[in-house]
Amino acid sequence: MHLLLFRRGKIPGAREWEFKEKVGKNYEQVLAQLNELLSELDLEIKKVTEPRSEEMTTEGGRASLEEARYFVALKGTLGVKEAKMIGWRIDNLAALSASVAYLVSKQGKAAREDLEKLLAQKFGRWKAITLVDIFLRTGYLEEDDAGTMSLGWRTRSEIDLRALMTKMAEAKV
Amino acid sequence: MTSTEKTKGSRTGLSSGRKELKEIIETCDSISERKFNPFFLDVKLGVETLRQYFPFWETFEDHCLDAHTINRLSEVVRLQNTQLKFQSSALYVDPEFVTRKVERMSEKKLAEVFLQSWHPVTELEQLTNGAVADALDYWNLLLPIEERWKRREYSQGNRPETTDSDTLTGLGIRGKEFGEQLIGLWNDLRQLYSVEKRPIDYWKFVKGASYQETVQRAYYVSFLVTYGYAKLQPDGDQMVLVPNDEPSEKTASGTVSFPIPIPRGS
Repeated sequence: MHLLLFRRGKIPGAREWEFKEKVGKNYEQVLAQLNELLSELDLEIKKVTEPRSEEMTTEGGRASLEEARYFVALKGTLGVKEAKMIGWRIDNLAALSASVAYLVSKQGKAAREDLEKLLAQKFGRWKAITLVDIFLRTGYLEEDDAGTMSLGWRTRSEIDLRALMTKMAEAKV
Repeated sequence: MTSTEKTKGSRTGLSSGRKELKEIIETCDSISERKFNPFFLDVKLGVETLRQYFPFWETFEDHCLDAHTINRLSEVVRLQNTQLKFQSSALYVDPEFVTRKVERMSEKKLAEVFLQSWHPVTELEQLTNGAVADALDYWNLLLPIEERWKRREYSQGNRPETTDSDTLTGLGIRGKEFGEQLIGLWNDLRQLYSVEKRPIDYWKFVKGASYQETVQRAYYVSFLVTYGYAKLQPDGDQMVLVPNDEPSEKTASGTVSFPIPIPRGS
């Protein structure tokens, strides 16, 4: 539980090898039991692999065991009021929604300029730049040296991309 | 065909071949950077081009260029394969469709859609050795509250009063339009650059007759750099200015805010 909840590096959660080392070989059974306990609190243990974004498919790609990471995440979802209470602004959530959906539609990668242009249409140029910086800082997006944006570790861990794209397609304007 | 004509033809083929291969590499790189759709490039035509020019290659560099082009083309084939896989997956949505949706959906609706698919990670914040060391350093450097209050001097300030046009001109409130001042300084910089034929030292350029003028020139130079009229570059320990012939409207990627303190003696 300590491994899962207390942040030790830049990213919360624990890697598979850490569990093997601290809990032992049967760590998966321990995690399954813990998951049952946590589900009563509307929490769940999530295993997230780090696939290459080019290989983004519905299965989430394959990665080696060393790359797998376990987190504790909210099992259900939050309402607008709850999201506001934990410090999120509606326009920031809307921009994050648009950014992630756009990147997914571009197979997980797009030029920063294009993303900023999309956000600028709705939020204005300066705010678009600021928002992209915020999403980069919080780990929802990543940027490489060539200015290509991709989905960050936090998006892979927290967002159900299939649900997002389905809801986006179904949403009435 | 005479041997001279053959050699001439070979020369033309060599130079045009190198040019075409470089163009193919550039297109492949743009595709890798997601600027174009992977199917934008006709890979078959690219391979045929390679085959066409292969007999002309003379030097080791030519063969390296050939190999590099094959490598970039294979990357495009990989991206085409990925795109086809992606299009057949449940995550595929046309980017144009997403763009239209984002444009037309309200912010609240977008946020609601996001919240229905968002399961935030839970974690507990804690103190680390590094954070405690930082806090101790900060605490040890912090002056007592009385000392910090002493540093602040308060005054009532002057009451509003009238002034003449010379004072307003001197303060830079009245006078030439901002744009005119900026263009004037840009012209000065270009002129100096054309005379010296090398980047102009930042401090040499902003230095004015008085401290006030130096600050004013530095202020305008900051706008010259921001608006793309000039570039500010490091040159060893110094900073240098290079004027652009035309103001570039596009903001360079990786642009950073860079404060430059101006010492009183300047």
